[in-house]
Amino acid sequence: MSERCDDARLAAVLGGEASPDLAAHLASCEACRADAPAWRQLATTLAAAHPPAPAAALAARVREAAGPLLASHARRAREARRTLWRTVGRAVAAALLPLPLLVLIDGWVLRAIYDTLRAVLPAALSLYFVVNYTTLLAVLLTLAYGAIPLLAERQTRLRHEEIHG
Amino acid sequence: MATDADLIKAIAAGEGRALDDLYRRYERPLHAFLYRQGGPRDLDDRMQETWLHVVRAAPRYDPTRRFSTWLFQIALNLCRDARRRPPPEPIDPEIAATTVADPDATQAAENRLDAARLLAALPEAQRSVVVLRYYCDLTETEVAEILQCPTGTVKSRMHAALARLTALARVPRRKDEA
Repeated sequence: MSERCDDARLAAVLGGEASPDLAAHLASCEACRADAPAWRQLATTLAAAHPPAPAAALAARVREAAGPLLASHARRAREARRTLWRTVGRAVAAALLPLPLLVLIDGWVLRAIYDTLRAVLPAALSLYFVVNYTTLLAVLLTLAYGAIPLLAERQTRLRHEEIHG
Repeated sequence: MATDADLIKAIAAGEGRALDDLYRRYERPLHAFLYRQGGPRDLDDRMQETWLHVVRAAPRYDPTRRFSTWLFQIALNLCRDARRRPPPEPIDPEIAATTVADPDATQAAENRLDAARLLAALPEAQRSVVVLRYYCDLTETEVAEILQCPTGTVKSRMHAALARLTALARVPRRKDEA
């Protein structure tokens, strides 16, 4: 039997209806033409066999059996959430601790820059430069602090996956 | 409507309602697959075991995979395990003993029996391909993923299965029953 005969049989049984390709093949292949009634019989038998419907009580049975597993997942998810909040809280607190010192140092640096610029530039221009620099510092600080909870969350999730699979 | 991946994620978080939704979505196709692949023996047990396996493995579900492929793969493995358990029981005695007066019901039971006999005559590897391709309407690629074999193998098994089934369909089955 050729590959075309195989494909014709597949089309006849799976497709159920005769396609133009199938009809053309049957017209040219005597062996397949002889087999065609068996293909039809096979397709009819396979198509007519409806499996019994699942029992109505089965859903409740599955749900009941899955109860302890779901409860265990819920407990684990709660623990994971608690661990996450604790870790994020610790990370943010640790990052906030040196913030007053950072602000003090930045304030001192800004003041020094302003004084230096004022000695050589008009006051308005010096203020313009210092405001620009302050804005840049504020943006960088916000980005750094904004990244802390995200990084802590990611790290906690990865560690959780490593432990629990 | 929540996707399968959303529901499985919710199951991993312990949400029972998500399991109800996912169960309803796949109840009939999965039940039909288990019936055709493994026969009526322990059908409800296999159905329950498949879902318990899904719930157990939900936290490890890979969202890049199709849920249906994963589900049928679990079901197929359970059918294989079940087949190793004695004693074999190829035909449902409940169906075989159907002697109800309703001719439609009798015909349906006979059709079921005929298809069950035909499928039972195939080796397990070929039967899986026929059931997944024909009854579950999955593509060759999806079947290959479930069976963890190349698509070429799926195709050749399908052809071999149909050749065998055609040969069986040619034999008048009622003759040897008489």
